[in-house]
Amino acid sequence: MAKTITQEFTKGLWAEIPPFRLVLGLCPVLGVTTTMENGIGMGLATTFVLLCSNILVSALRNIIPPKVRIACFIIIIATFVIVVELVMQAYAYPLFLKLGLFIPLIVVNCIVLGRAEAFASKNGLLPSMADGLGIGIGFTLSLAALGAIREIFGTGTFFGASVFGPSFQPFTFMIQAPGAFVCLGLMLCIMNLFE
Amino acid sequence: MVTALLFMLGLGAACGIMLSVASKVFYVYEDPRIAEVEAFMAGANCGGCGYTGCSAAAVAVVAGEAPPSVCIVADAEAAGNIAAIMGVDPGTAEPLLSYNTCRGGDRAPDKYYYMGINSCQALATLYGGKRECPVGCLGLGDCVRACAFDALKMGPHGYPVVDEVKCVGCGACERVCPKDIMEIKTMSQKLLHLNQYDDRIAPCQQTCPAEIDIPRYIYQIKSGDYEGAVNTIRERNPLLLSCGRVCPHPCENKCRRGIEDEPVSINQLKRFVADYEMNSGRRLPVSVAPSTGKKVAVIGGGPAGLSCAFFLRRLGHDVTIFDANPKLGGMIRYGIPEYRLPKEVLAWEIQGILDLGIDHKPNVMLGRDFDIGALMAAGYDSVFLGIGAWKDYTLRVEGENLEGCYTGINFLTNFALWQQEDGNEDRRPYVGNKCVVIGGGNTAIDCVRTLIRLGAEEVSIVYRRTRKEMPANEVEIVAAEHEGVKFTFLAAPTRVIGDEDGNVTGLEYLKMELGEPDASGRRRPVPIEGSETVMEIDMLITAIGQGPDVFFKDESKRLDEDLNITRWNTIDSEDPVALQSSIPYIFTGGDAATGADLVVSAIGAGRRAARSIHLYITGEEVKTPEKTLFTNNIPVSIFESVEGIEKSARTKMPELPVEDRIKSFVEADLVISEEEALYESNRCLQCCLTCYNKDVA
Amino acid sequence: MSEMGYFSIIISTIFVNNILLAKFLGNCPFLGTSKKMETAVGMAMAVVFVLVMAGAITWVIYHVFLVPFDLVYLRTIAFILVIASLVQFVELFLKKSIPALYAGLGIFLPLITTNCAVLGACVINIDEELSFIKSLVSSFGFAVGFGLALVLFAGVRERILLARVPKPLQDTSIGLVTAGIIALAFFSFKGMV
Repeated sequence: MAKTITQEFTKGLWAEIPPFRLVLGLCPVLGVTTTMENGIGMGLATTFVLLCSNILVSALRNIIPPKVRIACFIIIIATFVIVVELVMQAYAYPLFLKLGLFIPLIVVNCIVLGRAEAFASKNGLLPSMADGLGIGIGFTLSLAALGAIREIFGTGTFFGASVFGPSFQPFTFMIQAPGAFVCLGLMLCIMNLFE
Repeated sequence: MVTALLFMLGLGAACGIMLSVASKVFYVYEDPRIAEVEAFMAGANCGGCGYTGCSAAAVAVVAGEAPPSVCIVADAEAAGNIAAIMGVDPGTAEPLLSYNTCRGGDRAPDKYYYMGINSCQALATLYGGKRECPVGCLGLGDCVRACAFDALKMGPHGYPVVDEVKCVGCGACERVCPKDIMEIKTMSQKLLHLNQYDDRIAPCQQTCPAEIDIPRYIYQIKSGDYEGAVNTIRERNPLLLSCGRVCPHPCENKCRRGIEDEPVSINQLKRFVADYEMNSGRRLPVSVAPSTGKKVAVIGGGPAGLSCAFFLRRLGHDVTIFDANPKLGGMIRYGIPEYRLPKEVLAWEIQGILDLGIDHKPNVMLGRDFDIGALMAAGYDSVFLGIGAWKDYTLRVEGENLEGCYTGINFLTNFALWQQEDGNEDRRPYVGNKCVVIGGGNTAIDCVRTLIRLGAEEVSIVYRRTRKEMPANEVEIVAAEHEGVKFTFLAAPTRVIGDEDGNVTGLEYLKMELGEPDASGRRRPVPIEGSETVMEIDMLITAIGQGPDVFFKDESKRLDEDLNITRWNTIDSEDPVALQSSIPYIFTGGDAATGADLVVSAIGAGRRAARSIHLYITGEEVKTPEKTLFTNNIPVSIFESVEGIEKSARTKMPELPVEDRIKSFVEADLVISEEEALYESNRCLQCCLTCYNKDVA
Repeated sequence: MSEMGYFSIIISTIFVNNILLAKFLGNCPFLGTSKKMETAVGMAMAVVFVLVMAGAITWVIYHVFLVPFDLVYLRTIAFILVIASLVQFVELFLKKSIPALYAGLGIFLPLITTNCAVLGACVINIDEELSFIKSLVSSFGFAVGFGLALVLFAGVRERILLARVPKPLQDTSIGLVTAGIIALAFFSFKGMV
């Protein structure tokens, strides 16, 4: 694959942007995007894990025996997830409480494991970093977009600031579970329209 | 910190030890390719592919149920690696693939059109469909919408087109189609299908004894897909090089263009693509179903036996061909002369069939070297008797055993054996100067044309009816005429005259005249009293027909009682489609079942017998589907006239000039050029059951 | 949840806090294995099986090892390791010893290893500080809820296969919208417990 580092980075922003193109890791996408802030926070946490695990997997790719590679990847990922958990507990406790369960569940986010297996285990350090960062930022953008839409319509605010004024009756549906599914489905539909 | 490390280490070790012990204790054998395939999958076990985890997806890939690109996390490279593991492997399971059986689409005339309805199912329920064709595609695309894999598109001609790469054989299209246009079949199921009354097939395909999808392969030639055309033919006929040369193409008699114009030269096109494959120096891969572990003995390596073995092998059975001659081919090797079918070509073709993994035991004859009982004892599950028709009928007149008198097949075989195995001029079979061949069939024509090439001065045919009634192929008769063969029609031999040394010197015959038509519609020749005439000859060949030689029946106690033989010495099978003999595990086909017939009929019978054998050894009932067409035509598809045909000349078959070809056994008929093939393929109307492509007309 | 009765826990975990539709856990296999009813039923059974076992073993790990040794922060890594090994062990065991059960249910096991529903449910049980028995009941409820949603969804999806869906909405897109509508239905259980 004669792709440049830039290409590896940018593909995650559109061509392979999760979770729209790579329909994976839907749980946090649906679960935490009630506000844009949550979305970005979750996205950045995932990006950090993705970047670090990609780096470590890429660095160790020649040492890890292929038979137990999946287990090793999970351990690596889990380690970084714990790091994120502890850091967030220390410095962003309110956000940590909001994201709650979904932080430990980054471990089983298929995107992270998928990138480790499909990319980092076969490519060098720099491309893996670019890949992890690209996919991570793409993921963050998706989460932010979904969070923004749900927040604007669901609570009538944007980053906490009121958008429509006090007379606005928010579509509570949007921030609740069913709204998450429908909203993501429609966004996918719009993505498909632009193909 | 230390406790944490110790704890993780302990936990990791505990898990690792437990799993490694478990993997030894609970070891179960698996296809090693599953592990190989799984190694290339992402291992995320995300389930996004629709399978239950990566190992389940790997199992599905190895079983051929999922495409190599099944993993949605892994990249294209991984899919490529998986495809490489699977390869074109004869042992892989057969994928189910959707395919569209209708060629009508836009060109099929509409009976009525109801604007409001946009669903095939609704239209079919309301009106039975908008098309005039009773079985054709309605073209509203219920199937396209049903496809969850984006593998179906409404094609440019108004009927759905399958993208075989994307199709996973889920069957959604088949379920929604109200007209049963969409079929989901494995290659085996396709190979087992016999033409039926409700099939969407053109008159040529209905007529072809081998049931080849003729319009399809001509369309493939037209679009430059010669390899596709070869594959299409191979679904029905493994001997395309031979058939392309010797087939009298009954299909062309039913060609719809032939009603208003000259028929499409179908067989020339077949020969063109067959030669294209051979000359390309590369054999196209032929798919073979996974092994079933069943063994079948095919007795007789002629066209029927080869065809039966070929299809049985493709269905996954182990096949052994037992043949009495040193080389395979039967009548097409030893009966059809070199100038019509070069043996180099035949050998290439047969090698391709054997390469699928078919065993060949030469020089063993049923009844002489082994019997059926021995085969059953050796563990064969079923037997195909394709022993052909090698026993010449005799004239039953005085003197036909004189020196210099031969029978047709005997003469051709002896010469072919000498030509192929020996070639020493000293041992060359006897050839006279004034030769007479009695008979009007292809064997008679082969005899005279062989004699001409062997340098006989005067060669003539004596036939008791007229040229019009001769059963031989028209082209062959014309070629014989060009090569200088004399014809004596309306002459019935009554006596062969010899000299005191026992050598033949003359043939006495009665002149005949045509009387009333007989049961077969041919006018019966009636002898003219007192018209005896004597021809001076020094060699006589009797080629008035042949039947199977069933002497083996007398050698085997077991078969004596149970195997029924008809009064024409053919092996009796009650159902000419199922071809099961009176002993359930013995099947038959070709000349052995019908008496002397066309090569292509034997090939068709070989496939039908293979189908029956497959049903028999897989424990299913050997039954002919009720709607089986078998050599009949679907009435609605046979037209009296065809509108709007503009005449265009049929491509002439290129042949060697007469003066060159009568001196040697070099192949006399040549192959058409690529431009000619493209021109000829464009003459095809691409008929379906009732519609055809009017733009070509 | 820890002060609820067993029945309330069951109702709560199956309907009100349905793990798929209210907690958003286990969505990847939800969309992947709901294309066919057969697969969905198998998956549902396998999840019940594994989740109960995982609920038990993670409770033991947490309360017997992690809490006494003050290693609670290792929870995530320890749980995932144990669950993955457990699932793999069960798979190997079933394949060899009870092939019939394996054919019906075992083939779904690998899919569950990295299913966030399993890890998620275990973590929820711990967070809610449930007793051993209650956490078993809760795991069972979550699994049944997962299965229920999956089977319902598969039934709807089989119908969608035959429906005319606008091109851009096809496949996952319509799947998500449908899931939303099913979630809406589950919404009406709110307030039951």
